[in-house]
Amino acid sequence: MKSDIVIVGAGSIGLPLSYYLSKKGLKVVVLEKEASWGRGQNRAAIGGIRATHSDAAKIRIGQESLDIVPRLETEHGFHVEWKRGGYLFVAYDETRENAFRELLSVQKAAGLGIDWIDPDRVAGLVPGIRREDLRGGTWSPGDGSASPLLVASAFYKLAIDAGVEFRFGETVGEFDREGRRATRARTGKDVYEAGLFINAAGADAARIAELLGESLPVNPDSHEAGVTEPVERFLGPMVVDIRPDSESGNYYYYQIASGQIVFCITPKPQAWGTDARSTSSFLPLVARRMVELHPRLANVKVRRTWRGLYPMTPDGLPVVGYARGTENVLAAAGMCGQGFMLGPGLGKILAEATVNGPGAYGFIFDELSPYRTFEGMELLK
Amino acid sequence: MDRITEHPVLSPKEGRVEVRFTFDGKPASGYEGEPISSALVAMGVKRFSSHAKDGAPQGIFCANGQCSQCALIVDGVAVKSCVTALRAGMDVRSVEGLPPLPLSDGPRELAKPRRVSCEVLVIGGGPSGLAATVELGKLGIAVVLADDKADLGGKLVLQTHKFFGSEADCYAGTRGVDIARKLSDQVKALPGVTVLANSPVVGLYADRAAGVLVDYRDYVLVDFKAVLVAAGARERSVLFPGNDLPGVFGAGAFQTLVNRDLVKCSKRVLVLGSGNVGLIAAYHALQAGIEVAGIVEILPQVNGYKVHADKIVRAGVPVYLNTTIVAVEGEGRVERVTVAEVDEKRRPILSTARTYEVDTVLVAAGLSPCDEFLRQARDFDIPAVAAGDAEEIAEASSAMFGGRIAALALAKLLGRAVELDESWVAKREVLRSRPGDTIVREPVVPETGTWKPVFHCVQEIPCDPCTTVCPTHSIALKPVRGSIMDLPRYSGKDCRGCNACVAACPGLAVSLVKGLDGGGAEVVLPFEFPAPFEPGSKLALLDREGASLGEGELVKKVFNRKYKTWLLTVAAPSEIAVRAIGVRVQSEAATRSLPEPRVERLSDEAIVCRCERVTVGEIVRYIKEYRVRDANQLKTLRVGMGACGSKTCTPLLPQVFRQAGVDPAEVAGLTLRPLSIEVPLGTFAGAGPLAAGKDRMK
Repeated sequence: MKSDIVIVGAGSIGLPLSYYLSKKGLKVVVLEKEASWGRGQNRAAIGGIRATHSDAAKIRIGQESLDIVPRLETEHGFHVEWKRGGYLFVAYDETRENAFRELLSVQKAAGLGIDWIDPDRVAGLVPGIRREDLRGGTWSPGDGSASPLLVASAFYKLAIDAGVEFRFGETVGEFDREGRRATRARTGKDVYEAGLFINAAGADAARIAELLGESLPVNPDSHEAGVTEPVERFLGPMVVDIRPDSESGNYYYYQIASGQIVFCITPKPQAWGTDARSTSSFLPLVARRMVELHPRLANVKVRRTWRGLYPMTPDGLPVVGYARGTENVLAAAGMCGQGFMLGPGLGKILAEATVNGPGAYGFIFDELSPYRTFEGMELLK
Repeated sequence: MDRITEHPVLSPKEGRVEVRFTFDGKPASGYEGEPISSALVAMGVKRFSSHAKDGAPQGIFCANGQCSQCALIVDGVAVKSCVTALRAGMDVRSVEGLPPLPLSDGPRELAKPRRVSCEVLVIGGGPSGLAATVELGKLGIAVVLADDKADLGGKLVLQTHKFFGSEADCYAGTRGVDIARKLSDQVKALPGVTVLANSPVVGLYADRAAGVLVDYRDYVLVDFKAVLVAAGARERSVLFPGNDLPGVFGAGAFQTLVNRDLVKCSKRVLVLGSGNVGLIAAYHALQAGIEVAGIVEILPQVNGYKVHADKIVRAGVPVYLNTTIVAVEGEGRVERVTVAEVDEKRRPILSTARTYEVDTVLVAAGLSPCDEFLRQARDFDIPAVAAGDAEEIAEASSAMFGGRIAALALAKLLGRAVELDESWVAKREVLRSRPGDTIVREPVVPETGTWKPVFHCVQEIPCDPCTTVCPTHSIALKPVRGSIMDLPRYSGKDCRGCNACVAACPGLAVSLVKGLDGGGAEVVLPFEFPAPFEPGSKLALLDREGASLGEGELVKKVFNRKYKTWLLTVAAPSEIAVRAIGVRVQSEAATRSLPEPRVERLSDEAIVCRCERVTVGEIVRYIKEYRVRDANQLKTLRVGMGACGSKTCTPLLPQVFRQAGVDPAEVAGLTLRPLSIEVPLGTFAGAGPLAAGKDRMK
C-alpha cells in the first residue's frame, strides 16, 4: 500500500495527527498493533488537559490542546465530556508552598492563567478538603478535562471521514530503506510505502526507532488509576497533592463531567517496565491518601481500576523531531504520561510544520529534540 | 404485606422481628436483617429509583449484589439495597439523578487492610466450590473459601425441589437446600479451611492476592498461590423491548426473593425458557402461590428434562413451543407481556401475537458462566482452574464431581502427588448428560389387593433415587446404557406399598396402584403443594402430560416428613388410576391471554447495557458508522462501563455484532479489570463504608 505518510500508532498522538495531516490533503495510513484505536495508553489516561506546565514547548502545545478539545463539542458535535474545571495544586507544608510560588513566576511569565489562592478559596473549590495545615495552592481555572476514550473516538471518526486509512492488529516489524531514507514499513500482513514515517507508537516507540537503528530514550513506567460510581457534581478542579510519603509520590483526582471521580497515584519506587496488570497495593494506598485529604470521599464507591504506562524520557519532556540517521522519520513520542493532553495540540502543530515547515514552532522542535542533552527534570510532570 | 406464609416446603424463620423504617419519608416496615430490597418488594414496591440518564424506572434485578439497579439512599449513603440489611429507623430514599455524597467531613481513623494467607483461594461456595474445598482440605492444603452469601451452598440454598442424579454419589432425592447444609458441614469440619461467608471477592491482582469484602464491610487481602473459580452462573439477559423494566428478572433473583426471603414478589409471572431452570422456577412460583401464565420456548422442543416439564404442565402451566417474547410493557413496571410464534428463522410472526397480563417476566433462557475471575486470572498469569457452572453449565450433581476433579487438578498443579479417581470423570459425564431417548412404557394393570409402582418417567435422564430407596430392592434400572441414565422398572414382586419411591422421586413421577375387591383401584400420588382437601373430596386427576382423566375421591392424605411431600391416596376407576399422576393446581384463568394483543414499543429499543441504558439500535448504528471490530470501542457509548462490570451485556454482544453484519469472531472482546463489584473508597482505606448511616444508628 502506498501513501504520503505512514503513522505508527493510533493513539493519543497518532489519531489527531492523522486527522490534521489528512486535512492538509495528504494521504495517511495509520498502523496500529492493537485491535482498534486508542487501545494503548490513551485508554489508561485519566483525562486532564492543562497548559500549566513548566516548559515553554509543553505550555504552547497544551494551550493548543485546550483550544481544540472544547471545539470537538462546539464545532464538530461530538460529546467528549469536556469540562473546564481547572487544576489545583494543594500545599500542606512550606516546602510545597515555596516550590509552587517559585514556579508561579515562571508560569505567569509564560502568560498562563494561574495564581496562588488561600485556604478558604481551596476549600470553596474542594468542599470537605482537610483544613488542618492547609496553606493554599496554585489554581489554574483555564485548564480542564475530557474523556480520553471519547476524544480518541472523535478524532478517529474525523480521521476516517477525512480519508485516513487505519490498519489495526498490525505490528511494524521491519523497515526497508534506501540510503538515508526509509521507504517501506512491513507488518506481518502488508507492506506500506510512504514518503514520511511518523513514530507515534507511545510505549512501543523505542522499539520502532530501533528498527531503524535509532535510539529513542523512552522507557515506560507504570501508574495505577481508578474510577468510581458517578455522584452528584461537587468537585470542580483536578486536585493534585505532590507530597510524597513512604510508599507513593504524588496523587491526583477529579470529578469528570459525568460525575465519577477518577484518581491516580505515583508509586514509590517507580514501577519500570511494561507490566500493566493491576496490583493489590494500589487501592489501599491511594484510598488512604485520598480519604485522609478529603474524608468525604470515603463514601464514594470505586468501580474499576487499571494500570497504564508513562513512556518516560530522562528529563520528563517529549521527544519530537526527525531522526539524524533516517531523514524521513519523525518521532512524536515519550509523552511521559501526557500524550492525551498533548496529542491534539501536537497533532495540529506537527501537521502544520510538516506541510509548511516549523516556522513559529521552531522552538518546540529545539526544546523537544531527540538529540538534546536530557538534563534536569520537568517540575510538574 | 406480600409475604409467603404457607409453603409446602419452606417455613418462615422463627423469631423474625418486624421493624419500622421510612421509604421516601413514608412509614414502612419489614423484618430486621432482611435485605432492604426484599422488604420493599414485599410492600409491593417495584420502582425503587430513576436512572440518572433518562429517568427510566430502576428496581430489583439481580438480587445478588452484582448490579446496582436496586440502589437506594439509606441514611444519606447510596447503597445496594439487596445486600444491605434492614434495621429499625432507617431513612430509605429513592435515587433520583446522581446520588449526592454525604457530608461526612470529619477526620477518620485509617488502616491498612488485614492480610490472610493460604495456598488456594476458592471463589464461590456452591456445590462445586464446596466439593472442591472438601478435596483440597483432605489433602491438607490451606484453603480460603470466599462466598458472597451468608449461607454456603450457592444456588442450592434456593432449590426447594428434590434433586435428580444418583442418590449414592450426589444426594439425589434430597432437596437442594438440604444438600447445601450437608456439604457446608463437611467443609466447616476441615481444619485447614477458612470460610469467609457473606464476603464477595471483589478483585484479583497480579501479585497473587485477592481483595475480599468480608461481611460487606472490611477489605481483606488474601494472598494465595492458586485460585479455584467456582463462581457459578447467571441468567443470560435477553433482548426484547422492555427487558429493562422492573419486574423482568432472572430465575435466580426470583428464587432469591421467593425461596430465600419468602417474599411473594409477584401475582402472576410468565417464564421465558423451558430449560430446567425455567421449568423449576415456574414450579417454585406455583409452590409460593404465584400464578404462572405460561412458559415460552423459542425452540421446537422442551429444553429441560421431560419429567420436569410434565410436572409443570400437569400443574396447569402451558408450555408454548416455537414462541418468544415480542415486548414487555408497562408504566414503570411490568404490566403485560406479548409473545408470538416464530418462523423457521426464529423471527416472531406478529399475526400470532398474544398478550398476557403479568407483573413479572422470568428470564431463564440459558446461563452464562461467571468466569470473569478465571479470565482475569489468565490475563494476570495466575494459576487457576474453574469448576461447576463457571467451567461448564450443567446440573449441580455434576458440579460436585466437577469440583472434586478440579481440586485434584489444582493440587497436581501445586506439586502434590495425587491420583485422579477415573470413576469420578465417568460419573460426571453421566450426570451432565443431556436427556437421552424417550421410551413407550407398557400399560400397567392393577392387581387386586397388592400395591405396585407405576413409573411415569419415559425419558432417559441421570436419576436413580427410586431404586435406592426401595426397601425390598424390587426397583432396578433396566440396563440399556449401563448408567443411571437408564429408566427404572419394577421386578414384579415384593412391593410392600411403603410409598418410599413415590415420596423420593424428584420428578413426582411414581405412583402406587392397587386393585380394589369391588372393582376400581386406589392410587397413591405425590403432591408438593398445600393440600387443603380432606378425605371424601373429589380431585381432578391428570395424566402424565396434564390431560384430564376425570375425578377420583381422596381416601387419605399423609405428609411424608423426610421428603416433605404429601402422599394422596385416591380411589378411581382402574383405567384412570394407572394413568393418574397429578392433581390440577392452577386454574385455567391464570393462563388466559388478553382478547387482543397489545404492543406499543419498537423492536430496537431492547436494552443491551442495563447499567448505562444503551439500546441495540444505538449500538448497531455505532458499529456500522465507526466500523467497530473491538468490543472495547462500544465503551464510547458507555456499554460495559457501568456498575455491573459488563457482566450482563457481555454475553449479548455477539448477537448485537451479528445484527450489525459483523462476524463476532472478528471482534476483540471486552477487557476485564478489577473490581467485580463496587466498593466504597473508605473501605480500602480501612475507614468503613457506611460511616454516615452507621454512626447515626449507634
